[in-house]
Parts: sequence; C-alpha cells; structure tokens
Amino acid sequence: MDDLPLQKIQISGPTLASMIQRFSSSPGDVDGLLFGRVAHITPSNFSDDDPTTTTSSSTLSSDSPTLIATITSFFCFNSTTTFYDSTGQLNVVSLRRLLSSDRDRDSNSPNSLIGWFSGRRKTPLRPSMRESSVTSSLSSKIQFSFQVENSPKSYTLSPCIFLLLTTPFQDQLIHTHDFRAYQFRLSTDYFEPKTLYVVNIGPAFRGHYGAFSPNSPFPALSCELRGLHSSSMVEDSKSDGESLRGMRKISKEDQEELNACAEGFEVGRLSRLMGSEAANYTAELEELYDKMLAKLDGLARVVEKSSARVLEQENHNLKLRHKIAGLE
Amino acid sequence: MAIDTVPPLFAAQLNYLVTHSPIPMKVEQMWSGSKYHGLFDRFTLVIPFCLDYIKWDVIYNAQYPLAAPDIIFGPEDESFRPFHAAGEEGDLKSPKNSLSDWNTKDHTRLLSLILELRDLYMAYQRKRVGEVDDDRLKFEISTVISKKGIEMSMSSGAEKPEEVKFAVPLLEMDINKMVTGCTWRHQQKIFLQVIFPVGRKYSSAPTAPRLKLVASSELKALFSIEDFRLPPWLEGMCMAEYLPTLEEMLESQIADAVSLIDIRRKFIVALAPLFGRPVEADPVFCRKATFLASSGVFTFLVHFSLPLQFPKLQPVLMLQSSQHFNSHSAPIKSPLLTNFPWSPRWETSEMVERMFDFLAEECLNFKKYCNESLLQQR
Repeated sequence: MDDLPLQKIQISGPTLASMIQRFSSSPGDVDGLLFGRVAHITPSNFSDDDPTTTTSSSTLSSDSPTLIATITSFFCFNSTTTFYDSTGQLNVVSLRRLLSSDRDRDSNSPNSLIGWFSGRRKTPLRPSMRESSVTSSLSSKIQFSFQVENSPKSYTLSPCIFLLLTTPFQDQLIHTHDFRAYQFRLSTDYFEPKTLYVVNIGPAFRGHYGAFSPNSPFPALSCELRGLHSSSMVEDSKSDGESLRGMRKISKEDQEELNACAEGFEVGRLSRLMGSEAANYTAELEELYDKMLAKLDGLARVVEKSSARVLEQENHNLKLRHKIAGLE
Repeated sequence: MAIDTVPPLFAAQLNYLVTHSPIPMKVEQMWSGSKYHGLFDRFTLVIPFCLDYIKWDVIYNAQYPLAAPDIIFGPEDESFRPFHAAGEEGDLKSPKNSLSDWNTKDHTRLLSLILELRDLYMAYQRKRVGEVDDDRLKFEISTVISKKGIEMSMSSGAEKPEEVKFAVPLLEMDINKMVTGCTWRHQQKIFLQVIFPVGRKYSSAPTAPRLKLVASSELKALFSIEDFRLPPWLEGMCMAEYLPTLEEMLESQIADAVSLIDIRRKFIVALAPLFGRPVEADPVFCRKATFLASSGVFTFLVHFSLPLQFPKLQPVLMLQSSQHFNSHSAPIKSPLLTNFPWSPRWETSEMVERMFDFLAEECLNFKKYCNESLLQQR
C-alpha cells in the first residue's frame, strides 16, 4: 500500500449538496462512507523554458505522481458509530457487509471506498479523538485498498479521505455549514488539510463541459438508437428489417427490462408517429403514457406510505431511547 | 419536551465531574446538536493543566443518550492521539480504557475518562518536551523528572518562540492541615512556574528562565505569594539547585503566616472585654471581626480588618451606622480609618485600650458625618 499525497480532492456539486442536505435534515449527528476514485493525471505545466532549466518541476513530478481523488457518491447512516465502536475500532465485518451490498447494487460501478465523513452540529471544525482513530484504522486496512486509475505504474491507496461537516456555533451567521477535507497520511500519522474542489462551480471548470462524457447506470440503448436513426431517415421495409436485426442484438435480459417499461409497445413502432398515419398512433401512445403515469403514481404512493411507516418507527425508537435516558 | 435542557444522564455525569474532581474543572459552554429540540449534548470543558487551561469539547449525542461521548482536543494538539497506538490489525482487542466499556448510567464515568485522558495528555506533553533538542533542557528534565506532580508543556506557535513550561509543585507539607478548621475545598499547593526559552544551537550563555509563583486565590487569606521575594537565579544555575533554597524560604514564611493566625485570634479575643462579643468574626484565618457599639442612643457597627502582616501592620477600621441610611437605603459607612495610635511593640491589651479610646472620640465625628449626609439628602 502506497502512502502517496493527493494533489486535490474533487466532489461534484450535487454530491456535496445532497450530503449537506442529508446532514442538515438529520435529527442528530451522522456519518457515512465516501465512494469514488483516485486517478493519476499527467501534469500539464508545459512551459516555454528549456526543460533542463525547470528542474524543480520535473523532479517533483517524477518523485510522486499527481493524484486527484474524486468523490462520486456517498452512503449516509442515520446516526454515528455505525461501522466502528466507541473507541474508534473498525467493525470490519459490518463494513464489509455494507460494501458488498453496495457493490451488488451496481456491479459495474468502478467506485471504491475512498474514505468516510462525519457530520456534527455546533462543534469545532477539526477531527475528534474517535474520528482520528477511525480514519487511521481505515487507512491501515490493507483489504480496503484500491488501485489508482490511469496510472503508468501500479499504485494502491487506502481509504484515507476524511470529510468533516459542522455547523457554526452562532446561528445568525450567513453561512449555515462548514466543511473541511483531509487526507490522512499513515506514514506521518497526520491529517493533511486538502482543498475540496467542487466540480462544475466556478470558471475553472468550464473546460469540463467540453470533455464531458455521460456516465449513467441506465441500460445500454445503443442498438435501439441505431434502429431509430435509420428508420427515421428512410421509411421502407429494408430499414425495418435492419432495425429488427438490430433488436435481436439486444441481450434477452435488457429486452425484458425494456418490455416491462414499454408494455409491448415496440420501439420500432415509434417510427409510425411520423407522417400521415401519426394520428392513429398518438392515441395509443398517450394511453401508454397514461398507464406509465398511473404506475408511477402508484409507486409514489407506496413509497410515501412506507416512508411514513419508517418515520413512525424511527420516532418510536427515539422515544424508547429517550425513555431509557430518563428524558420523558 | 423542555427547551434548552441538559438530559438528566449527561447532567448527572457533569455534576459529578464538577463536584468530585480533584482538580477544579468547569463547564464553559453548552450547545445542542439536535435539529428539533434544544437538548444540550455538547460541552466545552476547561481543565487546568500546567498552570494554564486546556479546553476540550465533550460531544455526547442526545439522539443516542447511552452511547459513549467523543472528545475534540485543542487546536494545537492535533498530534495528541490517546487510545490509539494499539490495534494496528484490528483483530487484536485494544487495551481496556474508559471508553471501551462505557456506561452512561454510571455518573462517575465522565470524570474518570477525563482524568485518564489528562494523564495521557501529560505523558504526551512530557514526550514532546523530551524531544526538544536542547542540552540544558535535557539536563533540567533529568534532574527534576522524579519530582512528584511536576507537569510540563511545550508551547510553540507561528509568531512566538518555542518555550518549555514547567509547573513545579513546591513543599511536601499539607497547608490545609496546618490551618485548624480550614474550609478550603481543594488542596492548597504553591507552584513555581519556570519557562525556559528553547535555546538555539551555538547560542551564547543560556538565558535565565522566567520564574513566577502561582497559587490559588483562596491562599490569599493566609499567605500572599505576591509579597514573596523570589531568590535570584544565578548564572549557570539549574532547577535542582534553585528549588531547595526556595522551598526552605517558603516553608519558613508559611509557618510564620500560620503562627500569625493565632496572634490575630488573640487580638480579636482581647477586643471582647471592651467591645463585647463580636457580631461576626472570621474563625479560620481571623482576618475580620465586627462589633456592635453605641454612644448614647447612637448605635453603630465597628468592622476590624486585620492585614496578613498583623501586628507589624495596624488593623483597618470602618464604622457603619445602624440608624442612618443613604438615598439608596444602604447604611452609611465611614471611610477606612487608620489614623489611630499604633505600635507593634505594645501589649495586646494596650493596643485594644488605645483603639477603644480612639473610637470613643471618633464615633462622635462619625455621628456628625451621618447627620450631615442625611441633611444633604433633603
């Protein structure tokens, strides 16, 4: 396991926002796990000078690779002391169970556990005794280490990132939350403060839009897209045949998933929405949409009901805990 | 649920901590970490250490009242990691400490946790001081380390030069026991604060450390450390040489101070035949006594306050009328009186008689003064 310095830590605006939202809507303190990746980047500090004269920068880049950590998602618990005990010792079994269930959910996600976070109200913005122990033992566990992506040499890092969220002591301040990101260095036993770059905020990130490639867990739709494309160009039997052949390429599993969504309304039929026959089909399509909406509505109701029951149960638990503590 | 309350389990622990701690700790501020109700579950504790204070934040969780608290140490103590070294591979159970088998219902727990952590903090500071690369300091440490109760700390900041601070407890004797019927809650101790600047290598002669005596304010009733003259720190001296002389001087002066209590007591007793039984008197340190007196129908109180150096220094008198009140309905008092005849060489009975004669005169002046100030109010 290499103890390499990170150049910076990035997080996307929505991820940070939803983390803050989880923290601020929770009744008490929270903690959770951070997922993401660490990538090696080739430093782009090109200069007009002769490379032999700029020795400092060249030695720097050869000494330690430039690594950037990106937090892409997180998992927030409803309380603290979840995957560790009161002394800060990791509960490796429960942590591994959490990680495996997360991996099952989206198995093709390349994200690994890169650290954890803690959110506590009205407290100083520095790691506590327990947080130090947890971070240190998380960083020293070889079984959670992961590979640095995009790197010419093979490096491994451990989950060494710690993100701390607090609220200011005085309520009347303009800002409502404070946060600070650290990289824990095992070799020096020290929390190195790192700047947390919020991706997509500020002019520095304009370049990102150019290099943006969508990465979503939606089923791959490449075949349908091609079918649609060709059929909209020329409408004849040949293109139909082509699109059918394209359809066959879809794996059975994907097809089933799609059929469940479309309720037998094949994608190929969408092409008939063009031209003179369109009027006949719009009604059919609208009916399909209505059905889908009704389904969604039903689903929302089920979710709402179960959320209400979860809330009820949580309130009940809280009451019981308060009763034990003599707070009734 | 009540707003802004401390949950009873935390309150019991805090109360126990404040009342039973061998060192005077206090809670500076309280906050609530809950979103919906203002249950106070995080506190800033002020803990004396090395003649200074350290502030630690104790974080409970009102949502989970039975869970163990967490501690946030001061901003300069980032590298202080108690309960940490063990358990590199996690499967080994870490050694038992105050947190590992936490029980919120046992209200002695917070105190024992804080005391355990303070001991670890002391060891941490001692280690830091030991790592300072300064031969003179290394020598000083090796000679005084065995002294019981010695504390040391390292102070370093961006602007200020590095310093090592020692808090050396002086005198083996128990001052509390020397004073009969003493009411001090905490054990009185006198400390010598020694601050060494950390020497740069190859610097010339080592500079003398800064020295200061420190004691609690309660000790003022018996002995004033401000009036004590520290013996000079000679060039090339070390603490091991300095301390015995200092302790010897201090010991004899404290013994004197204790014996002076008796002289003051005798004086107050001697006042009784002429002034009557005191209305109020300080029975422990005998620094104050108040008598009721009258001249004709004019009734007034006489306050005697006796300085620490009594009888070398004369007492201070103040008269207070029982019949005249100012516009705020407070009794009218005389200014402090010291212009009576006094000699420390007189017998106690002579001192008392002369003061009585003085007061017989002075009370008439005071009566006039009272009447005049009443007239002015009209």
